[in-house]
Amino acid sequence: MSLRVLVIFFASVLLIAMSASIARGDDRGISFVNDVLPVLSKAGCNAGACHAKPEGQNGFKLSVFAFDPKSDYRSIVKDERGRRVFPAAPRESLLLLKPTHAIEHGGGERFKVDSDLYRLIERWIEQGMPYRQPGDSDLVSISVSPGEQRYQKKSATALSVTARYADGSSRDVTNLAEFASNDKEIAKVSEDGRVMVGDLSGEGVVIARFMGQVAVSRITVPADRMLADDLYAQLPVNNFIDPLVYARLAKLGLAPSKTCSDSEFIRRASLDAIGMLPAADRVRAFLEDRSTNKREQLIDELLANPAYADYWTTKWGDLLRPNTQRVGVKPVYLLDQWLRESFRENKPYDQFAREILTAQGSTHQYGPVAVFRDRREPADVVTLVSQVFLGVRMECARCHHHPNEKWSQNDFYELAAVFGEVHRKGQGISAPISGEAEFIWFAPGGDVRHPLSGEVMPAKAPDGPVFDASNKQDPRAAFAGWLVRADNPFFARAAVNRVWGELMGRGIVDPVDDLRASNPPTNEALLDALAKDFVSHGYDFKHLIRTILCSHIYQLSSEPNEYNMADTRNFSRSYRRRLSAEVMLDAICDLTLVPETFDGLPPGSRAVQTWNNKLDSNFLDAFSRPNSSADPPCERDRGTSIVQALHLMNSPKLTGKISDARGRATALAKSDLSPEQIVRQLYLTAYARNPDVEELRIATGAFTESGATRQSATEDVMWALMNSAEFVFNH
Amino acid sequence: MSTIHRNCEGVARRDFIKLGIGAFAGLGFTNILRQRAAAATIARALGKPTPSDVRCILIWLDGGPSHYESFDPKPDAPREIRGEFKPIPTKIAGAQFSEVFPKLADVADKLAVLRSVCHRDPNHGGGNHYMMTGAPTPVPVGCGAFVTFHPSYGSVVSFKRGIKDGLPAYMSLPTMSRSGGPNFLGAQHAPFVIGGDPNRAEFKVRDVVLPAGVSEERAESRRTLRESLDRLKRFSDTAADDPAMGFDSFYRQGVDLVTSPRAQAAFDLSKEPAETRDLYGRTDFGQRLLLCRRLVEVGVSFVTCYYGGWDHHTKIFTTIKDTSGPKLDRGIAGLITDLSQRGLLDSTLVICMGEFGRTPKINKDAGRDHWPHAMSILAAGAGMPGGQIIGATDAKGYYASDNVHSPEDLAASLYTKMGIDPTQMLQNSAGRPVQLVNGGHPIKELFA
Repeated sequence: MSLRVLVIFFASVLLIAMSASIARGDDRGISFVNDVLPVLSKAGCNAGACHAKPEGQNGFKLSVFAFDPKSDYRSIVKDERGRRVFPAAPRESLLLLKPTHAIEHGGGERFKVDSDLYRLIERWIEQGMPYRQPGDSDLVSISVSPGEQRYQKKSATALSVTARYADGSSRDVTNLAEFASNDKEIAKVSEDGRVMVGDLSGEGVVIARFMGQVAVSRITVPADRMLADDLYAQLPVNNFIDPLVYARLAKLGLAPSKTCSDSEFIRRASLDAIGMLPAADRVRAFLEDRSTNKREQLIDELLANPAYADYWTTKWGDLLRPNTQRVGVKPVYLLDQWLRESFRENKPYDQFAREILTAQGSTHQYGPVAVFRDRREPADVVTLVSQVFLGVRMECARCHHHPNEKWSQNDFYELAAVFGEVHRKGQGISAPISGEAEFIWFAPGGDVRHPLSGEVMPAKAPDGPVFDASNKQDPRAAFAGWLVRADNPFFARAAVNRVWGELMGRGIVDPVDDLRASNPPTNEALLDALAKDFVSHGYDFKHLIRTILCSHIYQLSSEPNEYNMADTRNFSRSYRRRLSAEVMLDAICDLTLVPETFDGLPPGSRAVQTWNNKLDSNFLDAFSRPNSSADPPCERDRGTSIVQALHLMNSPKLTGKISDARGRATALAKSDLSPEQIVRQLYLTAYARNPDVEELRIATGAFTESGATRQSATEDVMWALMNSAEFVFNH
Repeated sequence: MSTIHRNCEGVARRDFIKLGIGAFAGLGFTNILRQRAAAATIARALGKPTPSDVRCILIWLDGGPSHYESFDPKPDAPREIRGEFKPIPTKIAGAQFSEVFPKLADVADKLAVLRSVCHRDPNHGGGNHYMMTGAPTPVPVGCGAFVTFHPSYGSVVSFKRGIKDGLPAYMSLPTMSRSGGPNFLGAQHAPFVIGGDPNRAEFKVRDVVLPAGVSEERAESRRTLRESLDRLKRFSDTAADDPAMGFDSFYRQGVDLVTSPRAQAAFDLSKEPAETRDLYGRTDFGQRLLLCRRLVEVGVSFVTCYYGGWDHHTKIFTTIKDTSGPKLDRGIAGLITDLSQRGLLDSTLVICMGEFGRTPKINKDAGRDHWPHAMSILAAGAGMPGGQIIGATDAKGYYASDNVHSPEDLAASLYTKMGIDPTQMLQNSAGRPVQLVNGGHPIKELFA
């Protein structure tokens, strides 16, 4: 009952607010840009699914989110010989007949006859459809109130949105703003800006949007019962990461899980640092090692392992590797070699980025050039550079103002202009082979224009400086210089967040390449501290990885306790993640001791050494390697699927590996080892642990089943371990 | 009529409710089969297929088959255009096919021949994408390209229907087609590829049946062993978001599939009588189509049968006459006959097409080149009226000239037939709305 009263109350408040703000239009005449467009946006007319589709809807086209007011004005006032607006009889205008559903309208009724929205448009038509009013001032920003608030579970509040104009005036636009919640489990938000908090503790953000401007209201829902401060004070602190995470957990009333076991640690750290299962002997030695710093020693050992470079190249290959059939085999191979070399020598990340961004030369001699062979338009480079190096998705702003961010088409094409003076000579793209070399270099000349205004854009960094064009230097170098400055707001944060996400199963900002005000980090202080540490250690990836792996937070168990069961983003426990396609295939090869063969790679090559996503492999397809033919390149899907389950269960190829005469099962079966020793060996190899008594009993029992042989029993135990969750997941 | 195809999903749903049949999700595999059989019986009794249970077999002639040498012969065109084949009469009054397709001519009363779908992309990469997804590529794409900008038909069907009871909803034989992927719908909606040649004695469908050398008893004891050894702790509270729970559910479905005798029989072509195998032709393509029938019969929603090699820039006449033509003729005619005899044609949509047609003028190598302005598409089943030619090309076969349709119209028809609203919006991974089909209207002749 109280809820209903509340709803009625807020509805009335909103109605009052609505009439108040719309009425303000009366004093100074109604402006298309400042008054009518916001109404059309709020009514949903220019949503991507309606009249803002690329071809419009039923011949009437508006720009999406009103990013092009001039074109919208033309559509409404000039097109269709003026049928849409009819100044002689405003109420007969299509612009009023359609949205009130007085005549057939595919979008149904958007507002009612004589509603405030209706009256505003009617008066605008009466006034002769002015594009702007003399006193009109440009919208500068919006703010939302409250900007930050603590909420009880199940509580509600109404937000208000204020628009500020260049002349210093402001206006309540709550009724014209649009709202969205970034996490509907924490809080929902109604169309009119009413926040309704759910029954989870945590933090969320509500985004308010008005005419291309975005503001956020932060929501904190503390836990019902807070834990005693000394609980956190007693927790182990290995480095700066730990207290920053504990502070966050304390604020939310979450208790961290216990420390993971040595077995869990060695398996997890090996998979995360080098993408490999630890060998049984190494596991045994590690478990027996009594030194107190054995985990740190193991981390150093892993980071010195040559497999490190292959594993991290696979990850960066996902981001940078073009389609071989488009760009050609040789350029993609050279880029892959360059990546491997970079990770082998632990190239500082600033240098890594600079070498890619300023690449020039022959596609058949220098790997990074492949990026510019693939991305032939300056705008195509922006998409990649912003996502990979800035951690920002700017693609939306290519065609219209970013719906959830401040990025406009200006920002997008100014960044594009950084890559406008890249020249190419030689064979272009000639799919599927693109066999000949192409040369790519900087030379002054080459304008990037704004697609609407046609204006030549200056080369400029987003939220950053304009790069001087007068000195005839490569603006890419100036951009790279800006990017890697210690105080750059994007570069280091995006990098540490990406690496954190790889190691922890979730980014501090997630998705990892979507840093924006409306998608805030779950732990801002942690993100900042990691970035600062990364910069002050010379952009050293191995240092960053070592720091994260050494933290107590990384070494938490994946088993939740009664306080942190529902925590999936504050790192109070280790989050389980499925092994990625290549890592899983390599793990199976290591378990069975039967290597895979890949076309075009020497025998014995591992899946993390492949460099061409086109290689035929049912296994890698089933476990979702990325598809380089897809545009946009799809992210790796870390989920499980029926196809994966069936493949593990029945694939003739995997079954063949298990029973292979050269394989581990055969060798164990032919050895002098007892069934118990065989089972122990398999457990150490697959799970990096010893079996417990019960497991030993069950697994050795397979050897005494009727009809079983040592060979068949060894194979069956191996199959059973490989088909279990403990193998499939990093936990 | 327009109301029927606009609302066909709703109509079907109401019938289901009236008849007391619930949703399929969550039931065991055997139950599903039983319910599907019941639904099919009811559908037959009602005299109409239920769109949400219609499955599709898409026969993809990669390379772009010539319309002249197949289903749109132009015997009156000048010699340099009409080619070497003679036309033959079909069961459609007044309509002719090329002489290479006598068996299809004989089942033409069950076929709808579309002669007027066309587009403007003469490259394999772009043409494949347009015809396999219903969306043109946003940028020009070369011939060699394998691209995806939009989810393929099969992936959309998998996404909309969901993967039920251990059976991947979208399969592709013996390989994936170029643009047959899921794009933003995610890897779980990629086609399950069944490679190999089902015409060979040792052929087995991979992964959904036990591998050679593993007996049922052995598999059973392995599963028992696994069940007692799979001891990683699970957190069943959904708030904990434990991915192992999802894995368990898929694994259980997989086991269900492998232990269902009826499902297993479906994957086993040797269970098929010799006459039926002969009906499709003892060729890789023929037996693949037979496997397609068995797959849709057991509940797979969408199967692509890829048949490449139709890019006849040289020796078009000898190649079609000696090899690919007779295989295609026998295979598809066999499929249509078999589906029809089993009462499955009403619930199975069959479409046969490639990315485009071929140039009117025969080139110096006795071949024809790429030509997207005209092509011939065969369609059958799913309640469409058979025995009709839809649209036409001009007298010399240059351009679709009558009742012209876009690939979007074809896409809208396909989705409507399968109970999927073609006007709906999907969301890509960036959260951007994407129209399933951009414009396009179902081709009315395909709907009774």
